[in-house]
Amino acid sequence: MTDTKTADNQTLPDQGADASRVTATHFMVGAGFLILGGELLLLQLLSLYFDELFPISYGRLEAMANICLFIGFAAISLIGGAYYVLPRLTGARLWSADLAWVGLFGMSAMTFVGVIAVGFGLGEGRAPFGTPWWFHIPMVFLLVLPLLIALGTIRNRTEDHSYVTLWFLLGGLTWLPLLYLAYFSGDMPYFSSVASEYISVFFSAGFLTMFVITVGTGLFYYTVVKELDIPLASRQLAVVGFWSLGFAGVWWGTAQVLFGPGPDWVSGVGAALGLAFPIGALANAANVSLTLDGSWDRTRDRPDLRAGVLGLYLAVGVALLAALAGFRTVASVTSLTGFWEAIEYTTIAGVGALLIASSAFSSLPRLLGRQLIKSRARMSNRLTLIGSVGVLVFLAASGALSGYSWVGGSNSAAYIDAGEGWAAGLDGVGDTLLLIAVIFGVITFVGQLTYGAAVIGTAATGKAVEQEVLVSKPANEAEEDE
Amino acid sequence: MSDLAAAAAALGLPEALVQRSAEARAAETGSSPDAVLAAWAGGEVAAATTAPTEPPSVESAAEPASIPEDAKPTPSAMTVEAAAVAQPVVVAPVGPYKPPVLIGARDNPARIVTGAIALFLLVMMVGLVGPAISFDSTGARSSEIEFSGAAEHGQELYTSLGCAACHTQMVRPVIADVGLGAVSLNDSNQILGTRRFGPDLSNVGSRLDAAQIEAVIAGDGTDHAPHNLNDTDMADLVSYMTESRTAEG
Repeated sequence: MTDTKTADNQTLPDQGADASRVTATHFMVGAGFLILGGELLLLQLLSLYFDELFPISYGRLEAMANICLFIGFAAISLIGGAYYVLPRLTGARLWSADLAWVGLFGMSAMTFVGVIAVGFGLGEGRAPFGTPWWFHIPMVFLLVLPLLIALGTIRNRTEDHSYVTLWFLLGGLTWLPLLYLAYFSGDMPYFSSVASEYISVFFSAGFLTMFVITVGTGLFYYTVVKELDIPLASRQLAVVGFWSLGFAGVWWGTAQVLFGPGPDWVSGVGAALGLAFPIGALANAANVSLTLDGSWDRTRDRPDLRAGVLGLYLAVGVALLAALAGFRTVASVTSLTGFWEAIEYTTIAGVGALLIASSAFSSLPRLLGRQLIKSRARMSNRLTLIGSVGVLVFLAASGALSGYSWVGGSNSAAYIDAGEGWAAGLDGVGDTLLLIAVIFGVITFVGQLTYGAAVIGTAATGKAVEQEVLVSKPANEAEEDE
Repeated sequence: MSDLAAAAAALGLPEALVQRSAEARAAETGSSPDAVLAAWAGGEVAAATTAPTEPPSVESAAEPASIPEDAKPTPSAMTVEAAAVAQPVVVAPVGPYKPPVLIGARDNPARIVTGAIALFLLVMMVGLVGPAISFDSTGARSSEIEFSGAAEHGQELYTSLGCAACHTQMVRPVIADVGLGAVSLNDSNQILGTRRFGPDLSNVGSRLDAAQIEAVIAGDGTDHAPHNLNDTDMADLVSYMTESRTAEG
């Protein structure tokens, strides 16, 4: 196998300005939905502690926040990142920017429709989105569009060598509509309640791992070598990371329903294969660390690089916890508790947000010809990391304590009448941990606001710098070449 | 025609974009935007962008710019079409050869997509189809409850309100669930849920009567968040709860 340079060139067929606009708009729309979703997520956390404070129930708030964060923020932003990188890796202009606009408007509209439908009680309550069945039909079609655009771009490529980022993008964009189709199938009447529940947890875990982390990692592989002009340490490690994430994607979800009414072997298989999640996360984090070996000081003033590195390291922590909870002894304490809420929260609001921020901070200045507002970007990274790690630690601890209280309560027969665990016997320790987690949730939300201010502020008020426009060769030069 | 208009016409770009590019270029080179525009308007694009003082573009990091002329991929290999000209093409000074950083193997992306689909189907077969196949519960009992029409509507309300976000209807064969009722089986028609911030409701009908359940849902005298439902919906939801009791519950 011969390694060679992947195009990443500026001389592409035809003008690429519209592709730049649609790409930048994806990031800005995503930032808007992050703020909306972050607000709903904060209300959701607050309603856990102050349960009588809000007119909308916790369940609906959770679904509304998930729609905003999964579709509105993560999917739209990562698809924008893919549109940024694809022409630069393939040497072909983005295929059908018009279709990309359709996808962006469609997904934005459906996000609003979903939030409103769930908020007004029109949803069907199935996690994680709780939307009515008709919501899924246009969503499946909209989620296929990015894959079509990617394949159309690749079909016209002038570069027949694939940098590893292309693997991650193609994998993530392929899995996204398939995952959603599987999720949609859970609404079909021929699936039992048990199967439907498994489909839901599989979709949540798969979306976060097979799409958010996979595409986010792939984009960072591009950013890190591009920005620092250093080669990737290991293509093989990246490939291991890619397939491990794909293989692990859905398995850690089964740990949430361990001991449930599904077949026993699913739990066993899930625990074993769930180990692929930390393997994939570790492979990617190690690869980036090796790549940066000797260049760490150059990341000091680079919020785009810092965000990506922090996101990958945080992914390792989340993956280890998720894999650990797949084992039956641990799951007997953690399953069904806030422990899993902590894992999902940190994966989307921490890992996903940081990886997306990395791509946005790196690409927006080039796309818009505006200098990144670094102070806001740095602050956003800091607050997002502190907030999401704090929620992870304290919400997971609160959940584990709840689980422990159920075991203890059962042993003492203290809760049989109430049927709600032994929390009262803990003298509010669990509640205190929950309150601390909520405070960290507030910090995360401030970080999300700062991210929005960094992205939108860069577009609106950033100092003018050279804009990168993918162009055709001037006619006279092309003639000379011939 | 102003320099700006002339430059925009020469470059085939909107004036606003040309103006901004000129300002940025001027800031970098220490000249004035007018001088840059004048140069571009006069067709001196190449001269303006190949000045020795031009700092290497970030884009040049992985670009042929840092590769000696004889090592550069030829433009013809990139299937460049002679079409519109965009903004000035940055060409960095020629330096010593440096290997490119975006290294890739020659491969077929169709195989990546095929592999991704195959992996997904494999995972789904094991992870989704497996649990979906129901199995007989050895005749001991069933978790499937015969709900009345009102209770079935109550179950729809239960899902749309998002009750399953906090309540399970799943009793597991573990110490933590001792006392919650009979263990749920694969044929359960209850809403399993994956979080238990509130009590498990598999057998709530065997623990609380209708009045007590209605009080909880309405938030009367409990720490449960209140749900303001009309009389019919409240009655149906209460029916679903009171009928939620498994065989041994």
